[in-house]
Amino acid sequence: MAAVTHLAQYLVSGLAAGSLYALVALGVVLLYRSSRVLNFAHGDIATLGTFVAFTLIARKLPFSLAVIGGLAAAALVGALFFFLVLRPAKEASLLGKIVLTIGLALLLGGTVQVVWGTETLVFPFPLSELRVYRLGQVVISEMNLGTIVIGIVLMTLLYVLVQGTKVGLAMRAVAQRVDAAQALGIPARRIYALTWGLAGALGGAAGVLLAPVVYLDPFMMLDPFLKGFAAAVMGGMDSLPGAVLGGFLLGIAENVFAGYVSFKFKTTMAFAVIILVLLLRPEGMLGRVYHRRV
Amino acid sequence: MRSLVRFAVALAVVAALGIPAIGQPAERGVTPTEIVLGTSMPMSGPASPWGMGVGGGMDAWLRHVNDQGGIHGRKFRLLIRDDAYLPPRAVANVRELVERDGVLAIVSQIGTANCYAVRDFMVESKTFWITPACGADMWAGMRERNRYVFITYPGYVDEGIYLTKYGVENLKAKNIAVFYQNDLYGQQGLLGVKRGVFAARAKGAKLVAQVSYEVVDVEVTAQALKLKESGADTVILYGAPRQSALLVREIAKVGYRPTLMATFTLLDPMMFALAGEAWNDIYLTSYMPVLGTGDARVDAVLATLVRYNPALARLSFNAAAGVSFIEPFLEGIRRAGPTLTKERLVEAMETIKNWDGEAIRGVTFTKESRQGINRLFMVRSERGQYTKLTGWYTYARKF
Repeated sequence: MAAVTHLAQYLVSGLAAGSLYALVALGVVLLYRSSRVLNFAHGDIATLGTFVAFTLIARKLPFSLAVIGGLAAAALVGALFFFLVLRPAKEASLLGKIVLTIGLALLLGGTVQVVWGTETLVFPFPLSELRVYRLGQVVISEMNLGTIVIGIVLMTLLYVLVQGTKVGLAMRAVAQRVDAAQALGIPARRIYALTWGLAGALGGAAGVLLAPVVYLDPFMMLDPFLKGFAAAVMGGMDSLPGAVLGGFLLGIAENVFAGYVSFKFKTTMAFAVIILVLLLRPEGMLGRVYHRRV
Repeated sequence: MRSLVRFAVALAVVAALGIPAIGQPAERGVTPTEIVLGTSMPMSGPASPWGMGVGGGMDAWLRHVNDQGGIHGRKFRLLIRDDAYLPPRAVANVRELVERDGVLAIVSQIGTANCYAVRDFMVESKTFWITPACGADMWAGMRERNRYVFITYPGYVDEGIYLTKYGVENLKAKNIAVFYQNDLYGQQGLLGVKRGVFAARAKGAKLVAQVSYEVVDVEVTAQALKLKESGADTVILYGAPRQSALLVREIAKVGYRPTLMATFTLLDPMMFALAGEAWNDIYLTSYMPVLGTGDARVDAVLATLVRYNPALARLSFNAAAGVSFIEPFLEGIRRAGPTLTKERLVEAMETIKNWDGEAIRGVTFTKESRQGINRLFMVRSERGQYTKLTGWYTYARKF
């Protein structure tokens, strides 16, 4: 019985971590689908948004407004990066664009350190990490439960936006054939900027949900970004459901592995699983292979 | 005959070149008006609060000394280089400070791995190295080679032994677990606990779990569950503030209530803010008076530091530790007198016996020993502050 309880407890904590990885992965996939750019600044955009929310809370703004402000800041940075850097550099190769995102990551990381300092801060959140619910022997904190629920709500909203609205249709069209989409009158630039903004806001949401659990500092997204990125690769770089599946699986796998096998190889295991998945299905779990017709 | 003449000429040239050297400044890094010191600290990256605190504390204290006229008319200049807690950068920084900037001493440095990376260079270069903030056990067995090294920082192995001994004798610890950072710092603490458990095996002490995390890990849920599963009655923490705070919060969450003990590196008041109520009833060691526990002199040190750098109020523990690292060296410079040479300074340092500074207490250096302090005491966290529990516990000198 104790063994079942332990396994259930590892699964629960894996789900909470997984929902955050999934949010990060969604942002990465959203951008990759539309522009084939891997955004290495995703974690830093998220951190910036979280710090903005933190400052607004400290300025006594209501929590919900402060969070909206933080997400808006993250979205703005994403959209501005597209307009001010990527669009003028449209002749750059794909690799060049990826390097530009690394530059943005360094710039944002430095800015956050200069403006907010490097100490570890406590991020106030209406849900408590210490108040817990019990299901038999299995414990879940209010914050963990909130993270899972909010994560799933955000993922569902994104799904509805992409699959069920005109904007989503335009996003998908631009992702598949930008020239054809433009010929049909879709404003591709605005759609790209919207995609960058949306990805930034998603990252910001992950940051705001993560900060109360792991504390706020300029480096808090390093590990979650890597894991989210890995989850995206595992799920299939152009599949939104794949990113979600990858995130949850990764969160659960690493917690169970740490609990039963080894802590030291927890992160290594996560990447070993990805290699395995890619060996068996190079396009990722839910990714699709596009065959170009000659 | 011709070769003899050549030899004589060469000898004359060498002698002529050598003569002006007699009139040169006595030592590298020392002029009649200035002493240049250097350090390599994590001023960026995840470990930067340590670098900001210790580096900032040393810098503010030296500015305070300068404002009081310096020592024997010489003012201090401290060069701080950022190593981001990365050993290769620490090596580059220290080499640059010693070889290009020509500092008199490297004061402190943070990170056991970083210290190991530069240890051999420091020994070979015969440059003063004043209290690198890393497990002092790395000097054990190096008595012959550490003439210019002076340390007032405890070894984590000795500390681990003491924590275990105190737990077994006073807190009924039997089944002990260790939560540690998987690097040299955490591993040395773990080694200390293992030795302590071995020494106390007759009293029924057992090490039932050793649970590690990586420096970059941001969550330790699985570790908390593993510790709970182990059934340990006592958990000893050798971690960084963030992960240690996360762990105590996490074990409180899963309803596990062991006796918690921790290394002095977690004495930082930041822990109360990070872990909240969970940072209560924790037993820790300390090697210097703890801020805010009634020692007026150490509290005055912090007040001085904050006057020079208000940001240090948030990094108070590390800032005061920075002062404790350099105080004995400043005392040595004072004792060496106005003519400052390396050898005079070594001799002056060796006269420091049971000396009390403003932050550090009971420092002794001898010709044979560079281990300036070898004692600790216990404190307990209670409702947002620390209470002193014991007098000094002394352990054997090793270097």
